[in-house]
Amino acid sequence: MTNEEKLHMIEDVLELDENTLTPEMVLADIEEYDSMSKLSLIVMIDDECHKKLTGEQLREFVTVQDVLDFME
Amino acid sequence: MEAGFLDLQGKKIVVAGACGGMGKALSAMLAQGGAQVIALDLNEEALVQLCQQLNGEGHCYRVCDFGHIEGIEPVIDDIIKQCGPVDGFVHCAGTGEVRPLKMSKYPYMVDVMNVNFFSFVEIVRCLTKRKAFNPGMSIVGVSSIGAFYGAPTKVAYTSSKAAMNAAVKCMAVELGGKGIRVNAVAPGATNTSMRRQYESYAQDTDSYKINAIRQFLGVCEPEDIANSIAFLLSDKARMITGTCLTVDGGKMST
Ligand SMILES: NC(=O)c1ccc[n+]([C@@H]2O[C@H](COP(=O)([O-])OP(=O)(O)OC[C@H]3O[C@@H](n4cnc5c(N)ncnc54)[C@H](O)[C@@H]3O)[C@@H](O)[C@H]2O)c1
Repeated sequence: MTNEEKLHMIEDVLELDENTLTPEMVLADIEEYDSMSKLSLIVMIDDECHKKLTGEQLREFVTVQDVLDFME
Repeated sequence: MEAGFLDLQGKKIVVAGACGGMGKALSAMLAQGGAQVIALDLNEEALVQLCQQLNGEGHCYRVCDFGHIEGIEPVIDDIIKQCGPVDGFVHCAGTGEVRPLKMSKYPYMVDVMNVNFFSFVEIVRCLTKRKAFNPGMSIVGVSSIGAFYGAPTKVAYTSSKAAMNAAVKCMAVELGGKGIRVNAVAPGATNTSMRRQYESYAQDTDSYKINAIRQFLGVCEPEDIANSIAFLLSDKARMITGTCLTVDGGKMST
């Protein structure tokens, strides 16, 4: 999976238009990154990457890049 | 082994989801009361370990995936063949507590319904065939108080539990003539891995915070739920059928 594909998947979960996210963006600054989107992100990563993201790991994410790294 | 107030001595009880938090607590309680536990769950290693830890003799297990309904009947038929007719069945298996609606696509919905609901119906169907059960059989489905109120991320889970509650009433009526009782127990928040996982995901949400306050007696322990199930399995509950007993630290009263 390329970084671009992963970014699109995150945009889809956050219901953002395509190409609005960049890796260096700070998650806390993204209005759409609310508690419901966080739960959706956990589910998406489980479904698409077969990786279990815990609540603690999620809370440690600072930038979009952290999410991309976890999706590796 | 003690007969005790509930007197479960010699009863053969099928426990589905026996290796989970509630399943384990219940199995231990039943075995302690002199019952024979027939444990069903996904993981063989966990089942072997469970049976080794149980008090008394004659406990056994079968690996069974409730995500595949067609696979259930041969397992139940084999149990009846090997162990003889049973006295009780408890469905403690469960999955799918938290998932936003936008991620709840059809395959996920089906999986949750299979594990939480269709497998329950299928096991009851198979266990209530002629010669599969003893007179006075008692069936308990572990539902959830989530079936009674709306909450975000729970469409699949609570629908499966509401379906169970409805089925329990119909089964109670339909099976009453055979002397079989069918009830549900609806736990509130209970201290198991399912709960801890939910907490880790949802503790930041408003819904989680409000619900934690509403359960004013605090979080239930698995043994609290097991106690009420054991009561419903016992002959002390002989006039109780078609009901749903909430064990929720007072939550539904607020
Ligand atoms: N813990 C709570 O706060 C809570 C609250 C209300 C209701 N419940 C219900 O109580 C029951 C027991 O839950 P728990 O808290 O002990 O959870 P748990 O996760 O500890 O146990 C669930 C068990 O179900 C088994 N299971 C899951 N999928 C299966 C499958 N496909 N085939 C066979 N077995 C499968 C698991 O292996 C596990 O042993 C569940 O029905 C749950 O929905 C729990």
